[in-house]
Amino acid sequence: MKTFSRLSVPYLVWLFMMVLAPMLLIAFYAITDSGNGIINFTFTLKHFAKFFTDRDFLLILWRSLVIAVKTTVICTVIGYPVAYFIAGSSDKVRNALILAITIPMWINMLVRTYAWIGILSDGGPLQRLLEMLGFGSPELMYTEGAVLLGMVYNFIPFMILQINTSLCKMDKSLIEASADLGADKLQTFLRVVFPLSLPGVVSGISLVFLPAVSSFFIPKLLGGGQFFLIGNVIENQFITVGEWNFGSAISMIMAAVMMCSMYLVRRLDLKTEGKVSKARTLPGGRLAS
Amino acid sequence: MKKLLLSAMAVLSAAALSACGGGNEGPYAGQTLHVYNWGEYTGENIIADFEAETGATVVMDNFDSNEQMYIKVANGESFDILVPSDYMIERLIQEDLLQKLDKSKLDCLDLLSDGVKGLPYDPNNDYSVPYFWGTVGIVYDKNVVSEEDLEKEGFNIFKDTKYKGDIYLYDSERDSFMMALKALGYSMNTTSEEELNEAYNWLVECVETMEPEIVTDEIIDNMAQGRKALGLIYSGDAAYVMTENEDMGYFMPETGTNIWSDAMVIPKNAENPELAHEFINFVSSYEGAADNTETVGYTSPNAEVMEEYSSEGGYYYGINAYIPRTGNPNDEVFVYDETTRAIIADLWSRVKVAASNA
Repeated sequence: MKTFSRLSVPYLVWLFMMVLAPMLLIAFYAITDSGNGIINFTFTLKHFAKFFTDRDFLLILWRSLVIAVKTTVICTVIGYPVAYFIAGSSDKVRNALILAITIPMWINMLVRTYAWIGILSDGGPLQRLLEMLGFGSPELMYTEGAVLLGMVYNFIPFMILQINTSLCKMDKSLIEASADLGADKLQTFLRVVFPLSLPGVVSGISLVFLPAVSSFFIPKLLGGGQFFLIGNVIENQFITVGEWNFGSAISMIMAAVMMCSMYLVRRLDLKTEGKVSKARTLPGGRLAS
Repeated sequence: MKKLLLSAMAVLSAAALSACGGGNEGPYAGQTLHVYNWGEYTGENIIADFEAETGATVVMDNFDSNEQMYIKVANGESFDILVPSDYMIERLIQEDLLQKLDKSKLDCLDLLSDGVKGLPYDPNNDYSVPYFWGTVGIVYDKNVVSEEDLEKEGFNIFKDTKYKGDIYLYDSERDSFMMALKALGYSMNTTSEEELNEAYNWLVECVETMEPEIVTDEIIDNMAQGRKALGLIYSGDAAYVMTENEDMGYFMPETGTNIWSDAMVIPKNAENPELAHEFINFVSSYEGAADNTETVGYTSPNAEVMEEYSSEGGYYYGINAYIPRTGNPNDEVFVYDETTRAIIADLWSRVKVAASNA
């Protein structure tokens, strides 16, 4: 065992250098005031004070959370039926569909978002189509709708794949048992299939919500310069303003927000697991006996 | 980011081109010239022609901001030619990163327009030879915006609620603050925090009442399509817009604007300064300058080319954006000041935050 555990050393070194050290550095920047050097510094909490006493920054944080929640809800509502359909297909069809969902992910997210600029831009194909259908020529780019679309498009595969996995892993005999015991299709879905797939939904939610709340290039590309989310504020502090300390402080606040939401999602997960295990013992237990 | 992708493509295509031209004969055969220039900023034939004439291979990298270029150069990466803007040249000279040009090797200085020669950042053109120059101004739809309003309000037209929801601002702290400071009648190079704060309030009021879209190069195509009535724009981009759409006009407020120029310089650590001088001559010559100005749309520093392209029958005839204004005492060249830059950058990010919440 000891020889094997040594194999993890490169990974630990990597983890320290690429994850832990930068995190510590950000935390350090967030509570000091020294510009970008780390030789002379003084501890301060003024960056946090600056953030929390400014209505504008808080509003942006709020809007980022709202748009991330919207994205997550839309991804779940659209993603679940798709995942359900895929899980119910024959092996061949299922593999093809999974491939179809995965293939776009082989292309860089940035490039795919650029493609949307072309589609949504003024005089672009989507606007022409709407014009032909008699909707006038609404402006599509630089709207909240465009940003939302970009986020849903980019993050929905994570949701579908997660739900699909949990649906596929499900013991099919449970569904048969439910039918044997007289439940109709809707009842089976609501009381057996859906609760069992909840862990997938929950992990899908965290995979969609977390990147959505901190996304900065999607709002930048599809929302324009007047559509700032919290990620853009952070990017701006580092890249153009040069206020690394304040940028780091906002990053820390974001990290805290994310950890809170992870905690909430985990609690949801635990609760559903409780239900699931109950569901498993009842029909499953009878089947086994 | 778009520029980044384009630059990547440009680099690839340059590499491909140079691979083809490998066996060329010429006085500089086998040598390489490293050029670091803005994206979409070179004439279509200029590189190939230069390679054919000299036998050298040109490798071009692109940047999309002076600051991005500065970081590479300051970190010691070697290029033979850079094309930074005025204030950045000033900074590079101050930090001793440029070498003096050998004027005995240059035959192009006499070809330059008077307006672009000996500008304050390099009074004797000891370090730099202009590449393009121009102004910043207002592009407007002549059918929607009255000339009278423009004359009367100048940059304050961006706060005229008649045009609410119908304007583009340019996502650059320097140009936005120039607009606000000039609207208020201050110098664009002010270091007074009071004046900068006033300009900040001007901009916040603008984004909160006018519903502007804050864009960068998208303004070019969108104004060419006439999507909005007003926008803050570089003269060269306006020249392009006006050649595409005759309803568009270009206006420079009497209260002054920014006269800018980008110029070729040779860094201290250049590997092939000899060839770099050759390149500067080539680009500044009639053919090179004409190719550049026709492709890119910015004003040529070559007096003859500018004259020909803007006079009757010329490609930019009747397009006032093509000819930079001279003689208005309120027009200024941007001066670099690190403290002010930091303040403006911070305030501009606050303006965008305010715009997002509006």
